[in-house]
Amino acid sequence: MLKLGLRGALFALGVLAMAVAAACGGGSDNGGGGGGGKSGGSIRIGSVLPDEYDPVMFQTVQANQPLQLVYKGLVTYKDAEGTEGNQVIPGLATEIPTPTNGGKTYKFTLRKGLKYSDGSPVKASDFENTIKRLLYLGGPFSSFATTIKGATDYQDTKKQNGDISGIAADDAKGTITVELEAPDSQFLYALGLANEAPTPAAKSPFKKSNNIPGAGPYKISIQNPSRQFTLTKNTSFKVPGINPGKVDKITVVKESVPKMTQDVIDGKLDFMTEDPTDQLAEVKAKYKDRFRQDANPPNTYWFFMNHTTPPFDKPEVRQAVNYALDSKALQRVFNGRLEPTCNFLPALYEGMGYKKIDPCPWGDPNGKPDINKAKQLVEKSGDKGMKVTVWANNKDPRPAIADYYRDMLNQIGFKASTKIIDQQVYFGTIGTKKTKAQTGFTDWFQDFPHPNDFFEPNVSKAALASSPVFNFEYAPSPAGVDATLAKLKPKKPQDVSDQWAALDKKLIDSGDIAVYGSELSTSFFSERMDFDNCSGVHPVYKNDWALFCLK
Amino acid sequence: MATEPATEFALEGPAAFEEEAKRAKVAGLGPWRLALRRLRRNKSALAFGALFLLIVAICLAAPYWADHIAHTDPFKNHLTDRVEVGGETKDVVSPDGAPIGPTWHGRFFLGADTNGRDIAVRLLYGGRTSLEIGIGAALITALLSVIFGVMAGYFRGIADTVISRSLDLIWSFPVVLLGVALGTALALGGLKIGPIEIQGDSKLIPTLIIAVVYIPYMARPIRGQVLGLREKEFVEAARAQGAGPVRIMFTEILPNLSSTIVVFLPLMIANAILLEAALSFLGAGVRPPNPSWGTMIGDGVEKIITAPHLAIVPGLVLVLTVLALNVFGDGVRDALDPRAKLHLEH
Repeated sequence: MLKLGLRGALFALGVLAMAVAAACGGGSDNGGGGGGGKSGGSIRIGSVLPDEYDPVMFQTVQANQPLQLVYKGLVTYKDAEGTEGNQVIPGLATEIPTPTNGGKTYKFTLRKGLKYSDGSPVKASDFENTIKRLLYLGGPFSSFATTIKGATDYQDTKKQNGDISGIAADDAKGTITVELEAPDSQFLYALGLANEAPTPAAKSPFKKSNNIPGAGPYKISIQNPSRQFTLTKNTSFKVPGINPGKVDKITVVKESVPKMTQDVIDGKLDFMTEDPTDQLAEVKAKYKDRFRQDANPPNTYWFFMNHTTPPFDKPEVRQAVNYALDSKALQRVFNGRLEPTCNFLPALYEGMGYKKIDPCPWGDPNGKPDINKAKQLVEKSGDKGMKVTVWANNKDPRPAIADYYRDMLNQIGFKASTKIIDQQVYFGTIGTKKTKAQTGFTDWFQDFPHPNDFFEPNVSKAALASSPVFNFEYAPSPAGVDATLAKLKPKKPQDVSDQWAALDKKLIDSGDIAVYGSELSTSFFSERMDFDNCSGVHPVYKNDWALFCLK
Repeated sequence: MATEPATEFALEGPAAFEEEAKRAKVAGLGPWRLALRRLRRNKSALAFGALFLLIVAICLAAPYWADHIAHTDPFKNHLTDRVEVGGETKDVVSPDGAPIGPTWHGRFFLGADTNGRDIAVRLLYGGRTSLEIGIGAALITALLSVIFGVMAGYFRGIADTVISRSLDLIWSFPVVLLGVALGTALALGGLKIGPIEIQGDSKLIPTLIIAVVYIPYMARPIRGQVLGLREKEFVEAARAQGAGPVRIMFTEILPNLSSTIVVFLPLMIANAILLEAALSFLGAGVRPPNPSWGTMIGDGVEKIITAPHLAIVPGLVLVLTVLALNVFGDGVRDALDPRAKLHLEH
């Protein structure tokens, strides 16, 4: 039997103490950011639940938050708050490749020994299968994969086993070569989304499925797709740079917004994916130590004005709307959750296109509107007294936004009324040219952090070819925008930040659209959660659950 | 021969003698005056009838209240305005979006909604909308129900089959479901019948929808009554004198249906107001920004915890109006025909 002397016993105690401290402390985050906070434990989250559980089919924030933990792509986003979270980092691939062939070809190498949550190995060919599923099933983000050479041909043939000529996978070497139709710096940003994450071909049928294994720090188990699902730690997933997550188990349950708010207050839930809209004032006042508001995910709200329909075919009228906009009034409609701005690009694009436009050409967004100037411009346009229909959908607070706008248009000399339609058909309706929607509500939340994601779908001429159209101006704004986009799109946004900012300014100066702000989303936690270290506000995921931790 | 049903009163002693004396006086009165006397005896029906008239009068005074007391209109936003209440200046809508509650003064008497619109003004204008739609729909229902009910009951045969089966078709749908379906479909494109075009946001759309969905509920009892009336001796006598179907319907059948129609009307108005509120609440009735009690409840429900007055005030007025019409309607029914069992079944 081993005998220990006093010194030996003290040494052993010291070692034991260090081991205990290490176990109870911050835990390992493999350098993926995330700060302090302890590991372990279980939390409950209230949500309206994902729109889809199939990684190629979802599109909502409520789906992206859990699924990005289950399905990691060849590249992914850094688990960090603020603009740092916009960084694309290697995911299942060993590194971010430098494009060759004039910026058109990317060659990825898979990390060795990677396995899906079902234990099967991650293969290079799985990536091609994922892209095929995405295109075949027509997932909401499938358009981002059409930049790959041969993708549109594959989509047109509608054959599951068809070939995408731009993807070459070598399972033996673990390499994936992707060739694009044209240089496109958006490619890597879209690749970082869970929609393009490899899943095992053998278990990824060409139909919607809720049982697809993934490679990520968590595994998903769906108890009832419309009631509850659970995320548990995938201990076999260890990738340097990717946060393995702190809590062991996350149970997500469906609840109404008022109930989930009350449950977070009472400690029955630890976090809610929704904004406590009705109880916002109470939550802000009473629980400010565990509540925060951020413009995440980056977004912009504006009123569209159809340039092909009177009276908005006249620049004077569009300018009048810009002069008359009262962002502070709209801030109240948003229950205070609006950051007034006149920039089209959100502030979180600092370093990749955002530069505060100061002064704003149509007046300070935090100041008073110039109604008199607006009235003069309407008078000058000759369209005073014209009937205008303001379009909006029925999702709160859109009807109230539309009513503010109607009232403002009446003040400056029009006879405005509102048309409120269901949110499910809203964008499809106003995006149909024959509707001739004159003006109304629109917004844009980023798909991925790239300035082109704001410009091309919403204001370019190219966007007019899509169906439905999202460029509700029905004209390129500002004039010549497509040529600038063609020049900037192939380049890394960080390298041409000033040029994106100049385009932003040109758009706002034109007065073609009437921007009034960015919506702030909320993060509200229970008392059990370590709010100071682990609130995990992320520019892509809204909240990165991998960063959540208990006190 | 008794002029009243034997079961209506069972009085003894001096009271019975007094009652007999009264009966002796009414023996020579016509059915309408008789009904009026019975209605006057029903104090609760009269009280609720008066309450309904009061609500109508207040709603008619909406422009006066808006112009001279509240100094606004039902559509005007006051998002960044401030109002003086008890010597203190307050935001109509706070920067956090909380609307001001009742001030009990001229401006924002019942508070403001999330757009800073004066609730009292919108409540009054909303009442006008609800009453216009309710009364309009009830009148259209009554007119169409009489036409279809009389035709089906009088002609029988193919006419009866076609009309009755068409009514059955409408009846087979729950009223709210059918109303929502029609309201949603017509909201976007409006209604176009030949040269007549009605915009999707017109108040005529919910009026017509409500009128149509309630036709079977009134037309079927009328048809049943006509089936009985057409076999009566006075109809046969008219026919023997050479009167044609149209003449018989107008001069013999219709006068005998008048009490039924009068009994149905207040109940129909109450139901129409209720359905309008339900449709507007669900977004398939009155189109914003037009106020109606239903749209106001719908808007207020989103803020039920922080600003309960937004939903409670229009809800309360709606309940009072419908209750008043129902109690008054029951009183009218009892007065016109105490033995009748007419009521609206959904």
